Amino acid sequence: MRWGWVVCLAALLLPANAQQPLTVSAAVSLTDALQAIAAAYARAGGGAVRFNFAGSNVLARQLANGAPADLFISADEAQMAIAAGAGAIDTTSRINLLGNRLAVIVRRDSPTGSLIRRLDDLLRPEVKHLAVGDPAAVPAGVYARRWLEAAGVWSRLESKVVPVANVRAALAVVENGSAEAAIVYATDVALSSTAVSAFMVEGPNAPPIVYPAAIVAHSRQAEAARRFLSFLRGPEASSIFSRFGFLPLESAR
Amino acid sequence: MLRAEIWEITGFTMATAALATLLMVPPGLFLAWLLARGRFHGRLIVDTAISLPLVMPPVATGLVLLAMVAPRGPVGRVLARAGIEVVFTWKAVVLAMAVMGLPLFVRTVRAGIEQVDRRYEAAAATLGAGPLRVFFTVTLPLARPAVLAGAVLGFARALGEFGATIMIAGSIPGATRTLAVAIYSFAETGRDGDAALLVAVSAAIAFVALAAANWISSRQGVQA
Repeated sequence: MRWGWVVCLAALLLPANAQQPLTVSAAVSLTDALQAIAAAYARAGGGAVRFNFAGSNVLARQLANGAPADLFISADEAQMAIAAGAGAIDTTSRINLLGNRLAVIVRRDSPTGSLIRRLDDLLRPEVKHLAVGDPAAVPAGVYARRWLEAAGVWSRLESKVVPVANVRAALAVVENGSAEAAIVYATDVALSSTAVSAFMVEGPNAPPIVYPAAIVAHSRQAEAARRFLSFLRGPEASSIFSRFGFLPLESAR
Repeated sequence: MLRAEIWEITGFTMATAALATLLMVPPGLFLAWLLARGRFHGRLIVDTAISLPLVMPPVATGLVLLAMVAPRGPVGRVLARAGIEVVFTWKAVVLAMAVMGLPLFVRTVRAGIEQVDRRYEAAAATLGAGPLRVFFTVTLPLARPAVLAGAVLGFARALGEFGATIMIAGSIPGATRTLAVAIYSFAETGRDGDAALLVAVSAAIAFVALAAANWISSRQGVQA
């Protein structure tokens, strides 16, 4: 009986040592698409993948501080560059994985929301709060700010901006009615039942959105990470990404 | 970081925490008295419910508050009709701080009231004082050190509030950014030096507040 505890502890530790699942630090906007792809990867015998989803700026900082992960997928170049600058990624493995678009969203049943059809409508007094990822670092917020600056309305909208932790948080505050509008990725709004896209961000002012991916320099399973990365560029994953509204780039044809 | 920004964040945090402490006092005194002196069914439930924010994840408390005061929530809808906005304003900061600090205030004051000799209260009552008068002229003055210590503890808890604040007030520079929220936002966006500066500021404030609470309770010990 006395040794029962030891046996239990050993049983807990052994399988963990036997096979570590692959850890992917990925932009939170990829949550649903990557989970679907991981399920497909497991079905194809690729092994277990677990995810650490957060704003890319948070992930880049975790990696720069040596957080254990095998693959990093960022929602913008800047955060990938920060991880690279800290020596946290294998730069030779870096690829541009996906493209995306921005959308302005409102609640489906909101009277204010029905007034919003184009960019100038965001200046209306009825729009009191515009939620975006923190424009200081969260990629979706950085892109949003870049768009509003290019369109020349940032200074007039800045006082309405509610900076939130990441793009899914911006979606959530529109869903619960705390903000009248938010700028998120087109892929986020497709998943929501209460929020709808008021309009897509298009035209010359729309910033190009690229999701780079790279293998983490201190990964202990760089080979497994490489296999998963090439699966992400393969036809099956590409079709899943497309289904969620992403634009696969550099796919392995 | 600009010195003005440090002062603004610190001043805002102190002001909202002070307001939150004031907001805690009336319901806190009533609840503490109810729990110390009241004999009623469901006392254990009231007691436990008040302490919930102390042990629940603050984010969970924030989520409950958000569901209530968001423009579509049961309370928020009424407030919106009266033209009062809570979410993403300083009012949300104060609300989050008050809810999180209340259990500490109630527990401390309750312990103080329980130590008051009931014979003084009974004596006042036989001389014709009503329960309200007994409370304000006998119980409260005798429990004063506990009320002060409870207020300082509640204030200190309010200063450090993060989880519920970020849920209902967000992190809006110049509008809802408290010390705790600013430290998080700065750390998240790579402003490590600024975050460290604010950590030092909040450590200094917390030190003073806790030293004050200890000083008050040690004086209480001398009096007893």
